[in-house]
Amino acid sequence: MSVLRRLLRDPWAVVAAIVVVLFAAAAAAAPLITGLTGHDPFTYDLDALDGTGAPQGAFGGVSAQHWFGVEPLTGRDLFAIVLWGARTSFTVGVLATAVSVSLGTAVGLIAGYAGGWTDRVVSRIVDVMLGFPSLIFMISLTAIVAASFPRPLLIVLVIGFFGWPAVARVVRGQVLSLKQRSFVLAAQAMGAGPFDVMRRQLLPNLAATVVVYATILVPAAIGTEAALSFLGVGVPPPTPSWGRSIGDAISWFSVDPAYVAFPGGALFLVTLAFNLLGDGLRDALDPRLARRRPRSAVAPVVEEAVTR
Amino acid sequence: MRTRLPAVALIAVAALGLTACSSGAGEDSSTTLTILTPASTVPLDPASSQNLATTSLSLLDRRLTTWKVEEGKDAVVVPDLATTTGTQSDGGRTWTYTLKDGLKFSNGDPVTSEDVKYGIERSFSDQLTGGLSYHKTLLEGGSDYRGPFDGKQLSSIETPDDRTIVFRLNKAFGDWPWIASMPAFTPVLESNGAPATYAKAPITTGPYKVESIKDGTALTLTRNTHWSAKTDSVRTASADRVVFEEGQNQTTVVQNLLTGSGKYADAFGAQYLGAADLSAASRDAQGKQRLATSEAGPIQYLALNTKRGELKDVRVRQALNHAVDRRSYLLASGGSAAGIAATTLITPGIAGRQAYDLYPAGTSGDVTKAQQLLRQAGVSGLKLTMLLQNDSASLAQGQAVQQGLQRIGVAVTLKPEDAESFYVDAAADDKPFDLVLASWQPDFPSANANISPLFDSSQIGGGNYNLSQYDVPEVDRAIAAAQAETDQSAAQADWAAIDRRIMQDAPVVPLIYAKQSFLHGSGVGNFFIPSFPAYPDYMTLTVGK
Repeated sequence: MSVLRRLLRDPWAVVAAIVVVLFAAAAAAAPLITGLTGHDPFTYDLDALDGTGAPQGAFGGVSAQHWFGVEPLTGRDLFAIVLWGARTSFTVGVLATAVSVSLGTAVGLIAGYAGGWTDRVVSRIVDVMLGFPSLIFMISLTAIVAASFPRPLLIVLVIGFFGWPAVARVVRGQVLSLKQRSFVLAAQAMGAGPFDVMRRQLLPNLAATVVVYATILVPAAIGTEAALSFLGVGVPPPTPSWGRSIGDAISWFSVDPAYVAFPGGALFLVTLAFNLLGDGLRDALDPRLARRRPRSAVAPVVEEAVTR
Repeated sequence: MRTRLPAVALIAVAALGLTACSSGAGEDSSTTLTILTPASTVPLDPASSQNLATTSLSLLDRRLTTWKVEEGKDAVVVPDLATTTGTQSDGGRTWTYTLKDGLKFSNGDPVTSEDVKYGIERSFSDQLTGGLSYHKTLLEGGSDYRGPFDGKQLSSIETPDDRTIVFRLNKAFGDWPWIASMPAFTPVLESNGAPATYAKAPITTGPYKVESIKDGTALTLTRNTHWSAKTDSVRTASADRVVFEEGQNQTTVVQNLLTGSGKYADAFGAQYLGAADLSAASRDAQGKQRLATSEAGPIQYLALNTKRGELKDVRVRQALNHAVDRRSYLLASGGSAAGIAATTLITPGIAGRQAYDLYPAGTSGDVTKAQQLLRQAGVSGLKLTMLLQNDSASLAQGQAVQQGLQRIGVAVTLKPEDAESFYVDAAADDKPFDLVLASWQPDFPSANANISPLFDSSQIGGGNYNLSQYDVPEVDRAIAAAQAETDQSAAQADWAAIDRRIMQDAPVVPLIYAKQSFLHGSGVGNFFIPSFPAYPDYMTLTVGK
């Protein structure tokens, strides 16, 4: 409870949480909402375009019909595209994070608890993975894998696979300190096996760290999905994706600058909100850390005075 | 020739721009044409070139014949190095050419028939691949010949004297004068012909020679003083220098040409405009004057894999012909400036084309008729995969087809691939997809080049472009007969009949004849884009004033 109270005292985190919840709700209810507006992201509206394929009217064809205007060349409703794009972003973001967190926690737990050679080998692997040019690897992987393999699942697995090392490293560090604590030693003394200790003693104490990390991994995964779609190797059309819309919008910038604004703005808001929420959560879960951050009006003055 | 991005890189690698270049303090009247190309290099070896007779290599090289392209007229084949477009004997199986008097290479050496023969022989070498290869299957013994670099000659090319060259073909072929305009028919000096070094310092016969090559930056050409306008009735060679500026970003090119100051006054873009750039240019006051658009151009079509699943049934293929939404497709391509609806296989600008429409469906398709045909075929819930290129233009077009077919309950899954894999997979023997979104511009302006590469059963698989795997012996025989016909008007009538006959089987859905638009600076004259070839004519445009 105290965690929630501390979180609620952080106005940025509260605003961020509201934004995240709003986007998540909109993504979940996207078919319902576009059902109400009467425009799904797949239906063409050629009458909204002029003779060259550009939207008719100002700001990319913003009107009572099309709240965000329409997509050039197709006349599809940009509001619906952005809304359904949130579905893609959230699904990929959350699922990829789930993959990263479960892999990372498992590897970190084992490495930290087992120690010795296991730990050394795993730590080196983590180092290699962290230094790996992951985006290039993802692009080549998406090019190689057979087209029959479902593309969204591939994106989730690929992004998830490159997210685990950071989690593993942090979890390992936590486990190293936790396993010296008396309650762990007591459990071991009473004959609990390694699996039992990990599950009953260590995991519950890792939960806070893992939750904070997950909140920061989600926007990273959303950003990576957008990057892949921007580069043309993300989810295939016509499934809406913010990254692809942004990529398409670049060549239209001189004719229709509004086209890039809506998907770009949505991506910006969501990643920023998730990051702020993650920061807020970390502070709330670890009060000692919060003190060190220049959050209150008093703290920074003191700190600056000290550093001077 | 297949078209789209890579083809553009291969073919349209030239842009002319003349800048009144002021050297030193004094005014200099020399003119420089600047050609802005996205390619990082302009390939200079004719043996491995797919260049049209009217684009970049035409500035450097001459061939036995070339094309005369005038605004509003169909392209015609005219003599270039030779005195005629070819004299046939033996019912069209033997073709004889005589070289003009006084032809010289840029180093002063006379051009002989041996040099032409050597140039053609080079194109057979494994070290020089990727060029247009129509002659390789037509010349007698060509299928077993491996080039001149191991000392062997191709005996079906005879050079009885320095000015005469005779080609013996393995079958009658009426379009041979067009074949003789292809890059491989460029004379090459044997001392200059090594595959590894030729393109670094080619000795040329055209109005220009290479001054400097800086790959990724620029290719600069200067006048070849041994070229004489007296022996060349086509090239105007208006500029004193030609600079190909390489690695140009298309959006930047468009902005520079619309501004049109400095060197960009005497410049043009070698790459046709995409939908967004076209939209931007048509909104610009200057843009309208500096934009040249063809009336038609390459055919963009949906190839239906006739050997696969439900598509084996002609009624299903006809249903797709009725159902496709050409209006969406055209708007997705950039609207009326980007093309016109297509219904025939022979493209506008090709002599002898007859317009017809076997599947009249209005501008947006005839859903009722299509559904009726599907019911007759007993097909429902059809699921198809479409292979297409992974660029934003193709994806926009692919989705337009997808939503059109969605209306008759056909679910299309897009399979976008990068250009290289696309061409490999599309032309593979075993094709694990139902539809291919493809584009074709003939390599020479004859209906033969529209039809035989796409629908002759010998062109299935193995890297060839019969993407529908269309295999009808009756059509094969008709194609062979039309190819052998040396009377042009009789041949044209044959081709028009074959065009209709093939569309009865509906192996493809013709979508649009793509109009291609190019931007040029205010100093570039005689700049127009014909329907064929839908590229600027580098040989005849002018610069300065």
